[in-house]
Amino acid sequence: MSAAVDGELTPKEREGFEKHIVKCPSCLSEFKEAQKTKSLIREKIVRFKAPQSLVNSVLKLTDSLF
Amino acid sequence: MTSSPHKKNTPAQKSALSEKEKIKQQEFQEEAVEHINALYNYALHLSMNPDDAHDLVQETYLKAYKFFDSFEKGTNCKAWLFKILKNNYINKFRKNAREPGKVDYDLIKDFYHSIKDTQSDSEDLNAGYFRSLMHDEVYQALNSLPEEFKEVIQLCDIEGFTYEEIANMVESPIGTVRSRLYRGRKLLRSKLNEFAKKYGYNTDNEETP
Repeated sequence: MSAAVDGELTPKEREGFEKHIVKCPSCLSEFKEAQKTKSLIREKIVRFKAPQSLVNSVLKLTDSLF
Repeated sequence: MTSSPHKKNTPAQKSALSEKEKIKQQEFQEEAVEHINALYNYALHLSMNPDDAHDLVQETYLKAYKFFDSFEKGTNCKAWLFKILKNNYINKFRKNAREPGKVDYDLIKDFYHSIKDTQSDSEDLNAGYFRSLMHDEVYQALNSLPEEFKEVIQLCDIEGFTYEEIANMVESPIGTVRSRLYRGRKLLRSKLNEFAKKYGYNTDNEETP
């Protein structure tokens, strides 16, 4: 189920999965719920930018070693 | 971290090194430094503290640069850096980590609000599911999961790693990653439901009227 949500099924597995969910309402609904959970996480978890001071110090790191 | 623990080379050695070193520096900056935002976010999620995240990222790059020769060109540099950061985190913080399963919600909330105001990437607020749930509630729900579930969800859904890359990072078989994702997401849904009820949001949706 998670592999289907994440696009990690092999073509053969995918074919089998697609055939199954059209006949199985409970798997279909679980698949949709899992998809929603994944997109919720992607949308609601805020991404931060690394502070410029950190970027600068990392760029300097490579110089300061030698 | 600016004071280097490394021995300074003599001027002669320095010039002999410099050409090779310059190429290495350039490759490193092209390959590795572009992942700094992702690494910083991962470090924030792990440490929940901007100062610790700063140090973790810095130390990760220091190690990565030292061992850059051992990095296999053409493989996923981001996954390699994440693994270094995680190992570093474990060595540094795990020993005196809080009890597993216990989450200080106030700490998360404070942390979240303190950093949210400073800088965030563009936000997409069009979630069709639990759209009333706030960012920090989703964040809290994610953080309340047992570590092994939280980790794979982060790496998969937030960072977009493949199962193979995640399996390598968490040192478990792909089958384990799959089942952790499955169980983790299920658990997360029930936590989100709890939150939604607690805050009085309407949790009904089209599929389950």
